[in-house]
Amino acid sequence: MKIIFTRLALNSFSSTPVPSQRPLPFAWVCVGLIAVLLGAMALSITVGYRIYGPLQVWQALFAFDGSEAATVISTLRLPRAVIAPLVGAGLGIAGVQVQTLSRNRIASPDTLGLNAGASLAVVVASTVFGVGSLMGLSLTAAFGALVTSLVVFAIAAGAGGLSPIRIVLIGVTIAGLGQSIVQIILTTNEAQLQNLLFWLAGSFVDRPMSLAINGGPFIVIGVAMALALARPLDAMQADDETASGLGVPVTLVRIGCFVSVSLLTGASVAMAGPVSFVGLVVPHAARRLVGLRHGRQIIAAGLFGAIYATLADVAARFVIFPVEAPVGAITAVVGGIVLVILLRRRAA
Amino acid sequence: MSALNTSLFKARTPVGLAIMVCAFALLALSGVAFGSSWIPMDQVASVILGAGEKTQRLIVLQLRLPRVVIAALAGGGMAVAGYLLQKVTRNALASPSVLGVIDGAALGVVLFLALLSNESNTLIIPIGYQPLAALAGAVLGITLVFLLSGRQSSSAVRLLLFGIAMAAVFKAMVMVLILIGPIYRASQASRWLAGSVNEINWSEIQITLVMLVPLLVMAVLAARKMPPADLDEVSARSIGLNLPVFRIVIFALAAGLTAVSVAFVGGVGFIGLMAPHLARLMVGRNVYAGLLGSFLLGAIMLVGADLIVRVLFSPVEVPAGTVTAVIGAPYFLFLLMSRQRHDG
Repeated sequence: MKIIFTRLALNSFSSTPVPSQRPLPFAWVCVGLIAVLLGAMALSITVGYRIYGPLQVWQALFAFDGSEAATVISTLRLPRAVIAPLVGAGLGIAGVQVQTLSRNRIASPDTLGLNAGASLAVVVASTVFGVGSLMGLSLTAAFGALVTSLVVFAIAAGAGGLSPIRIVLIGVTIAGLGQSIVQIILTTNEAQLQNLLFWLAGSFVDRPMSLAINGGPFIVIGVAMALALARPLDAMQADDETASGLGVPVTLVRIGCFVSVSLLTGASVAMAGPVSFVGLVVPHAARRLVGLRHGRQIIAAGLFGAIYATLADVAARFVIFPVEAPVGAITAVVGGIVLVILLRRRAA
Repeated sequence: MSALNTSLFKARTPVGLAIMVCAFALLALSGVAFGSSWIPMDQVASVILGAGEKTQRLIVLQLRLPRVVIAALAGGGMAVAGYLLQKVTRNALASPSVLGVIDGAALGVVLFLALLSNESNTLIIPIGYQPLAALAGAVLGITLVFLLSGRQSSSAVRLLLFGIAMAAVFKAMVMVLILIGPIYRASQASRWLAGSVNEINWSEIQITLVMLVPLLVMAVLAARKMPPADLDEVSARSIGLNLPVFRIVIFALAAGLTAVSVAFVGGVGFIGLMAPHLARLMVGRNVYAGLLGSFLLGAIMLVGADLIVRVLFSPVEVPAGTVTAVIGAPYFLFLLMSRQRHDG
């Protein structure tokens, strides 16, 4: 295992990280991001097809009176204001880890096919094996993401190590394969098509609060693991030899990261479906804000991802008003454009 | 066709082509024979030759034959497009489905369905214009990919990544357009997107033929300018070719061929990747043989995929594009791994 990954790492050319010019003090950045996040969540609760005032929100949250406004706020708005930041944070932090592990600035849970793998696992589990419980689906999604990441890296390693671009091509192809199988399953189970079509586009609409309660712990565990692995990840940024020279158990760290990434991606997919390209965009923004140290990068990516997903969710309510667009469509457009910019700059 | 007998050909060329023709004939006949009711091959042949009883004539001529014909035309067209792209980019990984062509065409078709239907969901202009919408979208897609990639367009692998980025954007737009439409259109469009050859009628085949044949003729004419070895810049200039212009012409041809092919059957992926590559293995490097071989193999693949879908998943109509993807994706991975030292 170790030899494979070392070969992989040796052969993939690493994009040289650009240190950001004099970063802001980290504590300020965090306070600022938290403030923006709270603002975004408040916005997410108040605006939409109807706009509610602060008083109505207060009543719905703390003095539920059974009115229509209170019902809408507590059963429709509140869950998505909670799930969106969880998913955004999960995907953002997964993106940071994946980009460092593959030393590849265009890697992300989507471009490596993890989202598609998790979706396929969920679709198979729910249609073929009849798994219905939210906990079961979250676990299945994490399992699907883990298997996909192993397959992608095993193929890359089996080919004697591949450049970042080729790893991404493998990931995208595997994702295409997964989507085709999903398509076959869905066309043969037409009843499921309408339910799952919106879910497969990635969306925070109509998610019960219990989803957040089930998925939340996975995200928390994933984030905790990522933070625990932050220092070894710093050492692995350069190359594996340096890292082992510094006494970092490279293989263990990789396995830990794979598990963390799979938990984060799997829980996100189980909650919202595949929300594309969040994991690609967010790490770049985080690095610009706080520099290259992973402890900071991970926290910033978590906060920034949460903000990004929440605001994208708010935007999704208005782009084709009065109908609601899937948030995955918004993030896909933004992510596609960011990917083009990264490619033009030869970030990979 | 006289060119087929020139001495440029290696011994394997006629053999390879003969095998393809036989395989195609066999698959096409079974494509007509299989279905909800089995029609024996000899009766299929007699119906096609103008005899046979009335119900069988109806089933064969109105239901099954159009399906096989459109599959053959679309598969062949995409394969030829892939052949041209692989020749001109000198890279076996190039194919129409990954250069933004198919997703661009999808956007064109979905826009066409969305903008040009009235409240009762019937189109206000004939469906015959759908290929034009697909064509416009395909040209838009491939143009954007090339404009954005700029100088990097000489590396086929990097082109693929730009294609992936644009495809993601187009897919998102298609998704939104489908969602704002009525459910009927959603199923219609998502079926198109995955690629499906059922419910085709003869007038649609006519439209496809009218647009496909000139493009194929142009492809053959352009092929005359292609040297038997893959083009590289120096040798192309030394034989007096204006390479940038030639490339643009080839890319436009490929976009057109793909768009016309997918206009009715939808996004069938990977045929444009697999067929030309296998064709070169089977018939060698001669350009005419390569074009013909690609067309035949592409036709074989799509007719075959449709047959697989009908036999395996009957009575549900699973889109044929899913089968080509399930077979094509591993093939692409194999190419990616085996060719990594040569390009990129």
